[in-house]
Amino acid sequence: MTLTTIRKGSLLAVAIASLLASPAFAKVTVLGWPGGPEETALRAATDVYNAKPDVPENDKVELLFFNRDGFWDKLQADLAAGSKAFDVNLLATYSIGRYAPFMEPVELSDEAASVYGESVLKTMQYKGKQFGVPTDLSMHFMYYRKDLIEALMKDDAAKAKYAEISEKHLGKKLEPKSPDEWTWDDYAATALYFTQAVNPDSPTRYGTVLQLKNLLFNMMVFQSLPRAYGGNWMDESGKITVNSDAYRKGLETYKLLYDAGATPSDSLSYEFAEANAAFTSGQVAAMMQWNAAASDLTSKEKSPTVADVTETVAPPAGPEGRFTHIHGLGFGLNKNAENKAGGQAFIKWLSSKEAALTYARNNGAPALTPEVVTEVAKERPDLVKLGEFASKYGYVMNGGTAAKALSVYELQAKEFTGYWSGQQSLDDALANTEKGMTELLK
Amino acid sequence: MNAQRAHSSEFRLLAMPLVLFLLVFLGFPAIVNLIYSVSDVSFETLRQPKITGLSNFAAVWNDRAFWQASWFSLRFGALTALLECALGLILAIFLSPLIERRSWLMAILMLPLMVAPALVGLMYRLVLHEFAGPVPYYLWAWFGTSVSFLGPTSAFWTLIVVETLQWTPFALLLFYMAYRAIPTEIVEASAMDGARRWHLLWYIELPLMAPTIVVALLIRFIDGFRVFDNVYVLTGSGPGGSTASLSIYIYEAFFKQGAIGKAVAASVILFAVSFAVLYGLNFIASRRKGALT
Repeated sequence: MTLTTIRKGSLLAVAIASLLASPAFAKVTVLGWPGGPEETALRAATDVYNAKPDVPENDKVELLFFNRDGFWDKLQADLAAGSKAFDVNLLATYSIGRYAPFMEPVELSDEAASVYGESVLKTMQYKGKQFGVPTDLSMHFMYYRKDLIEALMKDDAAKAKYAEISEKHLGKKLEPKSPDEWTWDDYAATALYFTQAVNPDSPTRYGTVLQLKNLLFNMMVFQSLPRAYGGNWMDESGKITVNSDAYRKGLETYKLLYDAGATPSDSLSYEFAEANAAFTSGQVAAMMQWNAAASDLTSKEKSPTVADVTETVAPPAGPEGRFTHIHGLGFGLNKNAENKAGGQAFIKWLSSKEAALTYARNNGAPALTPEVVTEVAKERPDLVKLGEFASKYGYVMNGGTAAKALSVYELQAKEFTGYWSGQQSLDDALANTEKGMTELLK
Repeated sequence: MNAQRAHSSEFRLLAMPLVLFLLVFLGFPAIVNLIYSVSDVSFETLRQPKITGLSNFAAVWNDRAFWQASWFSLRFGALTALLECALGLILAIFLSPLIERRSWLMAILMLPLMVAPALVGLMYRLVLHEFAGPVPYYLWAWFGTSVSFLGPTSAFWTLIVVETLQWTPFALLLFYMAYRAIPTEIVEASAMDGARRWHLLWYIELPLMAPTIVVALLIRFIDGFRVFDNVYVLTGSGPGGSTASLSIYIYEAFFKQGAIGKAVAASVILFAVSFAVLYGLNFIASRRKGALT
């Protein structure tokens, strides 16, 4: 073998390796949310887009996924470092302010407003500019066992026991109600009634399962309770209002349920998956959970014990009404994208009716307007409820899209779990949270 | 003289790649970290940090969470090191005759070391879950109740047990090698002199294994002190930050709070303290060595 042959061979090998290692085949590289229904939906939408004859070869989309754990931290590090590894990236309502300095505003299709509605488009806006297309909406449902609630409503002896328990623990006699009419006190009374530590005759071990792990997403689940009592992060003047009766009520209700054993004692390490596992075991009567759990909890294959008896309603009411936290996942444009025009074209198409329906038919969770959702209502009845609840009860706290919104959730998670676990008083938890939020949202 | 000079230049030449590697991959980040630790810096201003003096160090010093995390790391590192080394030592001595005859046993005993700590965390998250895990399942079946393994009062001890179960084999391996390396003639001579098994262990074998024991304790303490993966996966930073180690504190300050200056200042403090402790230990060790020779 001559030296020239070796050199040629080496060059060829380097060229092939470079082609394989770089995303050169990906004319538009899109960084997606891995391992869930969002990935399935994005793959389906991408296939439709790439098959369109008017999409130039060098604007075809290739998908990129990395692990879900620490996704937002890795994305932040990549964006801050000026990464060109992706042209389009995932974006969430609560992180827009954090990533906006490294992203560019986008232009959506003319159909976008009629497909998603203005309130949903706002979940991807920051300082009045559109930074992304909202592909998935997340919110909370109250999941409950209709067999247990129906049995309770029919049984006079059970009703008397229910009143006795509510008077003892909540200080007032309550009657069982349909979950769609629940206040947060009704929810607490029901949770206590179905807890064996409180009511030894309960058919379930626990009345509810709370997600109390020191984790920011768990704070999003919790917020709807204080919100129903008028709670907010700050008032119109920017003053932090978290140290309020509304938050006090919410925190105390959770603490009461935890201390009474109405939720598993390990709940302080529970998040989405653990709560689902508890509910599907058949040992829990009701729980607040993300809408993303609906398909699993009502699937006979995945939840054989509870699939047939699980129902969903909007979260309970408080004096100010019913509320559910909403946030969107979507796609925005990397400021350092190598193929900015191609990325913008894909985002524009993604906001069209064709893309939204494709996404919805393939496990995605877009919040669609009533006119559009009717086209997929038979295949995806859950999306009808999603759109309805989002428009009726959806809220974003004042400051909920600020650059440090995630840090606020982190702070609340630390301080509030400190109170629930008995490591600090309620006054200290609220005072520390107020102090930290004043610093973060100044 | 010429030969000495040539030898010296050869030495420099050969050491150059290592020196360059250290300068690029350790020196440069260290300098950047020092600058960030005295700066007001965020992800937006990574390339234009504003020097603000020692305010980041003051913020760390006055942060209750920093001291809570330091105390957790110290307790966790010390307890796991002691437990792992004690168990490793007992197993090494008592299993030694068995392992000597069936060496494949060592491969089985080493298996926990092959699992990534983050995976160990995930595994125990499942194993200890009340509705999915086998341990609570059998406790409920047999006793009608279960321990709250990850509750606020027991999470620390659960983490200690998980860490100990994974890393005891490491101590076992070190101690087994040290035990096997004890010259047989010394042991035989002691036996002939009438030393009982306990005396043999206490006065002959353990002193001969002492350097290995100290090294093992040090390595395991350092590993336990800087623990991150399995604790983070299993309990996060715990309710109220009760299971946040210093590594978790720094990670959360950096990524979750975006407080880059504060996170780097905490890591600089950690580095300074670690350096002082290791230097002190090295100094004591060298003095003892000097005294013995």
